[in-house]
Amino acid sequence: MPVRREKAERLADEELMPLVGRKDPEAFEVLFDRHGGAAYSLAYRIVGDRAAAEEVTQEAFISVWRSGARFDAARGSVRSWLLSVVRNRAIDFLRSRAGKAPKLTFDDDSALEQRPAAERTEEEALRRETAGELRGAIGKLPGEQSKVIELAYFGGFSHSEIAQILNLPMGTVKGRMRLGLEKIRGELAEGLA
Amino acid sequence: MSATEHSRWSEDLAAYMLGALDSAEVAEFERHLEGCEHCRQELRWFEPALQTLPESVERQEAPPSLRANLMAEVREDVHEAESRSVPSRSWRRWVLKPAAGFAVVALLVAGVVGYEVGKDDSGAGGGANTVVRQVDGLTVKMVQEGSAGTLQIEGLEPLPSDKVLEAWVEREGEVEAVPALFVPDRRGHAEATIADMTGVEVVMVTEEPPGGSEAPTGEPIMSMKVPS
Repeated sequence: MPVRREKAERLADEELMPLVGRKDPEAFEVLFDRHGGAAYSLAYRIVGDRAAAEEVTQEAFISVWRSGARFDAARGSVRSWLLSVVRNRAIDFLRSRAGKAPKLTFDDDSALEQRPAAERTEEEALRRETAGELRGAIGKLPGEQSKVIELAYFGGFSHSEIAQILNLPMGTVKGRMRLGLEKIRGELAEGLA
Repeated sequence: MSATEHSRWSEDLAAYMLGALDSAEVAEFERHLEGCEHCRQELRWFEPALQTLPESVERQEAPPSLRANLMAEVREDVHEAESRSVPSRSWRRWVLKPAAGFAVVALLVAGVVGYEVGKDDSGAGGGANTVVRQVDGLTVKMVQEGSAGTLQIEGLEPLPSDKVLEAWVEREGEVEAVPALFVPDRRGHAEATIADMTGVEVVMVTEEPPGGSEAPTGEPIMSMKVPS
């Protein structure tokens, strides 16, 4: 029997999840009302289009609903889990829209210019990169670090693709990713101190 | 493993968290992670930084159609699941089925009799709304607290070993199973919780095979109208 809306609103996310797993629409609706805005914003940030963001968000939430909510409390909050589901859907959407995500296996600039797939990759990278500004703690990162994080997390590019896009060694890309995350983590720790 | 050897994994860790390793690298990294407490600790330490990323995006207002379409799809799923689990939930449809017809007529008659017999026996108690009836030779107590209810029955005969009791409610002409099976104790007392009494007009109980049934399979042992 579904719980009443008022009761569901009083429950914590972690308490709603078992109800969602038992296909309770009221519990699911409350979950969406709490996190749907952030989910849509993230989807929009990644796909850069309102209609596509709506489609991605709806698909992500429906997958949560139909999968019986495979949420593992040991791995973080409900919100971060939901947003990771949305992020994965949005990246899948980007890749399907662009065809198979181009895997660049050459490192020569002239070759890059000759390959239509590579051009599309660069355009796509630029489009995704310039779609919005980095905000909050990320905004304080040096550009070289925020760029690799941006391309990986919001663009869905692998470290080897980013290395080719930015014409950097793969080790440098990974190093910048790590430094960037360390700085964000440091900012957060300072904020809490 | 030496510090130099380990630095390779440390280098991969951020890329792993950002989803920037390819599938073969992910599998390799996760194999390493299983046996490396140092990397697991680092992963946990980095986790808040990763969670900052989706939260840092500029907030957009979701179109109202997103919520409307999503919930329409969800409710359609629920409706389909209910249709599959209860082939016929309408009283009228049951009456049209020869096998079920007798049970439905009996339920309706028992419901009315229960109500009439019980008219003089109702009472309220405590903060909850309590109704006590003599129904079909049984003493039935319905305790309602908020939207939930507890059905208590006294005077039950022992059940055959291949039977359990199953409770049903009628709401707006539709019969729904209460997701709880129960059996009487040695004193003939049995109790079932009805999580949502909103709009319930009739409560009834039937004997069913272990595991319960999707729809009543026999005559009710008790049926009682619920005063509105």
